[in-house]
Amino acid sequence: MSRTLVRASLRHLLAHPGQTALALVGIALGVAAVLSIDLANESARRAFEAATDAVAGRATHHVVGGPSGLPDDVYRAVRIDLGIRAAAPILERDVAVPDVPGYSLRLLGVDAFAEHDVRGDLRVEGGGDVSFAALVTEPGTALLAREAADELGVQPGGRVVVRVATTRHRLAVLGVLPRRVGTGNLLVVDVATAQEILGAVGRLDRIDLVLPDGDAGVSIVERIRARLPAGADVVPAGARAHALVEATRAFRVNLTAMSLLALFVGGFLVYNTMLFSVVQRRPLIGTLRALGVTRREIFVLVLGEAAAVGSVATLLGLPIGVLLAHGMVHLVTRTINDLYFVVTVRDVAIVPLALAKAVALGLGGTVLAALAPAIEAASTAPRTALARETLELRARRAVPALALGGLGLIVLGSAVIHIAGRGLGASYAGLFIIFLGMALLVPVVGLGLVRVLEWPLAALLGPVGRLAARGISASLSRTGVAMAALAIAVAATVGVTLMIGSFRSTVARWLETSVQADVYVSPPSLVGNRPDATLPRDLVERLRGVSGVAAIGTSRVLRTDVDGVPVTLVAIDPPRAGAGAFRFKDGGGQAWEAWQRGAVFVSEPFAYRRGRAVGDHVRVRSDAGDVELPIAAIVHDYGSSEGVVLMSRATYGRLWRDHGVSSAAVYAGQGVDVDALVRTLRTAAGDDEVLIRPSRRLREDSLAVFDRTFAVTGVLRLLVVTVAFVGVLAALMAVELDRARELAVLRAQGLTPRDVWWLVATETGLLGLVAGLAAIPVGIALSALLVFVINQRAFGWTLEFSLTAAPLLQAVGLALAAAALAGVYPAWRLARAPLAEALREE
Amino acid sequence: MKRVAVVLLLALAGLAALAVVRLFSGERRAPRPSVAVVEALSTADSGFARADAPRPLAFPGDHGPHPEFRTEWWYYTGNLSAADGRRFGYQLTFFRIGLTARPTRRDSRWAARDAWMAHFALTDVGGRRFHARHRLARGALDLAGADARPFRVWLEDWSAVATAPDASAMRLVAREGDVALALDLRTMKPPALQGDRGWSRKGPEPGNASYYYSLTRLETRGHVSVGADRVAVTGTSWMDREWSTSALGAGQVGWDWFALQLDDGRDVMIYRLRRADGAVDPFSAGSVVARDGTTTRLDAADVHVEAQEWWTSRTTDVRYPSRWRVSIPREHVTLDIAPRLADQEWTEPVRYWEGAVTVRGTAGQRPVAGEGYVELVGYGDATARRSRARTTP
Repeated sequence: MSRTLVRASLRHLLAHPGQTALALVGIALGVAAVLSIDLANESARRAFEAATDAVAGRATHHVVGGPSGLPDDVYRAVRIDLGIRAAAPILERDVAVPDVPGYSLRLLGVDAFAEHDVRGDLRVEGGGDVSFAALVTEPGTALLAREAADELGVQPGGRVVVRVATTRHRLAVLGVLPRRVGTGNLLVVDVATAQEILGAVGRLDRIDLVLPDGDAGVSIVERIRARLPAGADVVPAGARAHALVEATRAFRVNLTAMSLLALFVGGFLVYNTMLFSVVQRRPLIGTLRALGVTRREIFVLVLGEAAAVGSVATLLGLPIGVLLAHGMVHLVTRTINDLYFVVTVRDVAIVPLALAKAVALGLGGTVLAALAPAIEAASTAPRTALARETLELRARRAVPALALGGLGLIVLGSAVIHIAGRGLGASYAGLFIIFLGMALLVPVVGLGLVRVLEWPLAALLGPVGRLAARGISASLSRTGVAMAALAIAVAATVGVTLMIGSFRSTVARWLETSVQADVYVSPPSLVGNRPDATLPRDLVERLRGVSGVAAIGTSRVLRTDVDGVPVTLVAIDPPRAGAGAFRFKDGGGQAWEAWQRGAVFVSEPFAYRRGRAVGDHVRVRSDAGDVELPIAAIVHDYGSSEGVVLMSRATYGRLWRDHGVSSAAVYAGQGVDVDALVRTLRTAAGDDEVLIRPSRRLREDSLAVFDRTFAVTGVLRLLVVTVAFVGVLAALMAVELDRARELAVLRAQGLTPRDVWWLVATETGLLGLVAGLAAIPVGIALSALLVFVINQRAFGWTLEFSLTAAPLLQAVGLALAAAALAGVYPAWRLARAPLAEALREE
Repeated sequence: MKRVAVVLLLALAGLAALAVVRLFSGERRAPRPSVAVVEALSTADSGFARADAPRPLAFPGDHGPHPEFRTEWWYYTGNLSAADGRRFGYQLTFFRIGLTARPTRRDSRWAARDAWMAHFALTDVGGRRFHARHRLARGALDLAGADARPFRVWLEDWSAVATAPDASAMRLVAREGDVALALDLRTMKPPALQGDRGWSRKGPEPGNASYYYSLTRLETRGHVSVGADRVAVTGTSWMDREWSTSALGAGQVGWDWFALQLDDGRDVMIYRLRRADGAVDPFSAGSVVARDGTTTRLDAADVHVEAQEWWTSRTTDVRYPSRWRVSIPREHVTLDIAPRLADQEWTEPVRYWEGAVTVRGTAGQRPVAGEGYVELVGYGDATARRSRARTTP
């Protein structure tokens, strides 16, 4: 391509800096959104894996027990009788630091003498002289990771207070563990100390093994298995961590899709800008063609411009994305902690692959968006530019074709969603295709609306009103795209808002039915609202004796393997036998009788993920070994996205040697004041650190967790809105500024500056209104897809669609506000531009 | 419009620049030094008993542990030969390291007051290989420990166990991978009490001493395994028993120890405490045990040791003496001592040289031959000296 062409192109971009800059901002923010989510997801995943790897060391396998762990003697058998030298006993638990809300440490009980072959010798900074002897012999002693020591302000010789279940322990910090990847939250104690403070004397959580690869390893595993008590097993290291990470996949995919939405809107902005610049340059392009420039060169020229804009925008977007990721990672981590597992992320990992993906998306998206304008430019006839009127006529004629194409895309997208089956990525692709199809429908809907609104406007504003309405249809080549861009952006926010609203109201209704007791007693928990510890042994009995208590139900929550994959198991002992607390999706009928005979209920996500139906059996690992239990019902439960398995306490008691209670549901007697009862219970609980909440508080807290988990989505929605806003600003400003000459002619014919003001303001306002109105059905359709297709496929949840007016009104308001703002500058400039200058051709 | 654009672009560029600055300003910390667990397994002396005076030793009771002292060892070494003439040296040592003198009562069975370490080495003289293995365990959950009656010391499945009620016969068992031994030992002489009735002073400070006795001649038969070979062997072993709380005195950096069994029926033990300046500490001592078991004490001045050759380890670069002339004028013996294999160096968890040796020399006018073991501790850098001094003084 000749230098002249490049220069012409550059001059055009620089001559319209506003448009160029806005397109840059749109793409940059889109790239930043995608990158920040990618980095935040990846950082959280890596932090978790690094922590898991650091704790696993070179371990290839774990000997694991049932929920109550392994007897000490299994270690002797493995190490001495079976002669497996690379074996180390482990107790591992996440413990809270009550003085620092939200802070947790990973307590690791180790035998320093057995560490050499598994994790390598335990080391402390400076090699403290007495630390190891004291660690082994003195109760309540610990070594703390350097990062945690700094964050908590603890020195060797100092103390750290941790909470295990409902009890606080003061641990003397003997030494500090040197910095190592993934160990930032470690609190290492001797295995004896761990047993004592975790209340697990005589039990180990697991034994880490380093076994040879291949057949030798397999035969050793078999030899070990033969020696293990019922309920214990040898599992490959990393399998559990992998399952945990896998459980968050749907959550991560959803965030990625949301961030892509921002880029999608940004892409629309580029499309708008490029198309507009082509339209503006038709005379120039026509002349160039006449001078012998080929179609191909014009095509390349326009794409080159888009690539240039895309490159600059992407380059700007990358660092912003990384910066944004620092904030995003906290939100993502908090959600993972609320819903899945405890992880602490200290750094944002700058993953080259994520950067490459962002570059590819930024550049690729821009070029893709510029494809149609480039084709349009290349098809310009040589010698002359088409008269503007001809162009607009063509644009108007294209509207039905576009609409038809839109319908085609909607059909295609629906087909993709249908074929995608359970595939989340493909489902999202289908959703985006449908979304694009709807965007193509916007001009036809918009034109109709404008026509409908023309009469009331004319009645209201006289000729100016009519001029404004006609102006939109007259310059459809530009207004159509602007309208579509605005509608899509607004629809995106409407869709996401409605989806979150539906989700929230579903959860709220579920809480109403499932939270039936008056007061709930539970240990403080690290992971969201799910109790992962047990109440003090005698507490429930003590509470039963409190006056005003009519009945107490209990539940025991624990992790165990079901069909070989760990999942949350809930054993319930309701005080009044009845199925009222469950909302059955499937089953019901005889379910309650089956439950009492030992069947289990599973939640919707469990049934979906594991492909289980009523009547199927699940293999549950218990203290009595693996048992096959029938599924009597599938119940609605929104507490866990990986699903839960529920059984009666009686069934649990038959299969586990465990009397622990994770939480208690207290029913007040007739006429007992609940708040007073909470106070009495508090007194009865004494020093035990337990949460005692009236049901109202429990529901509020649960919804607070729900809201927290959607905080990231909220931020992304804000980004989409920002990009949309920028896009609308760019599109409308361009439209109006392009009309400078037309307006000047009108002014020469007697239109006052005040009239011009009104004209421009009305026109942009009308565009905004029309786009806002068009966005409503698109937004509703989008949210319906999110609720009924995406959520169903991501988590297996059935959500009730709830349509509220507020988000819709907000959408129209947003569109109007953006449009009004976009109209201010052109209106001001056009109204006061010297007439003679404005009348001159560019 | 231009101004708006300029402001927008500036803002965007500023945001990007801010991000770049933020990214590269993360603080970095230099890593700090650390030590391994074995090196850090030392305890304060406080509370442990001191070897500050002779006390009557009784057997088999004193074969058992003395947890009131900080450090204790059961040290078996020996020279073995097979019917086809293949020769082996072996070492099986159990160390008890007291972690606390006053253990707290605790609920967990993992609670321990002692750490245990065991070293097992097999010198394959013909194969010119030195196989060294070590283990570490806590004295809890029956993983490791020692009993007096019946006598037993073990670390997991390595053990020395009395096979006679009076512990006049013992069985040693150790296996690690394809290196193993199973030996039956029978005492040929009564325990030889070293130093002053078993009270062996190592320095001028009161309490810088150990209780020390030896079973200098143990008839040995059994099997050793190296690789696929399982070889029946016979030979002679030596057992050293020592417990103390603080042994090495100020200025002492290590020691050379000789345990020699001569074919005239005499057994010779010599230890030379080396000072930082290279001199021999006056508290160095030794003994000669006659054929009938009577023990004659040797003082530093009674023994002359001259290193005649040196060997430098390829693994650690440490230079060890590797051929000696020992003369004990009082006993009219002059002995030339040579290792059966130059490389019998332990490189981890602590660095020392412990190896089988042959002896040739004269006793009076007659030629004398023999075999034994030599231990060289505290050669090389300062760290090795310090750690060795702490864990096994």
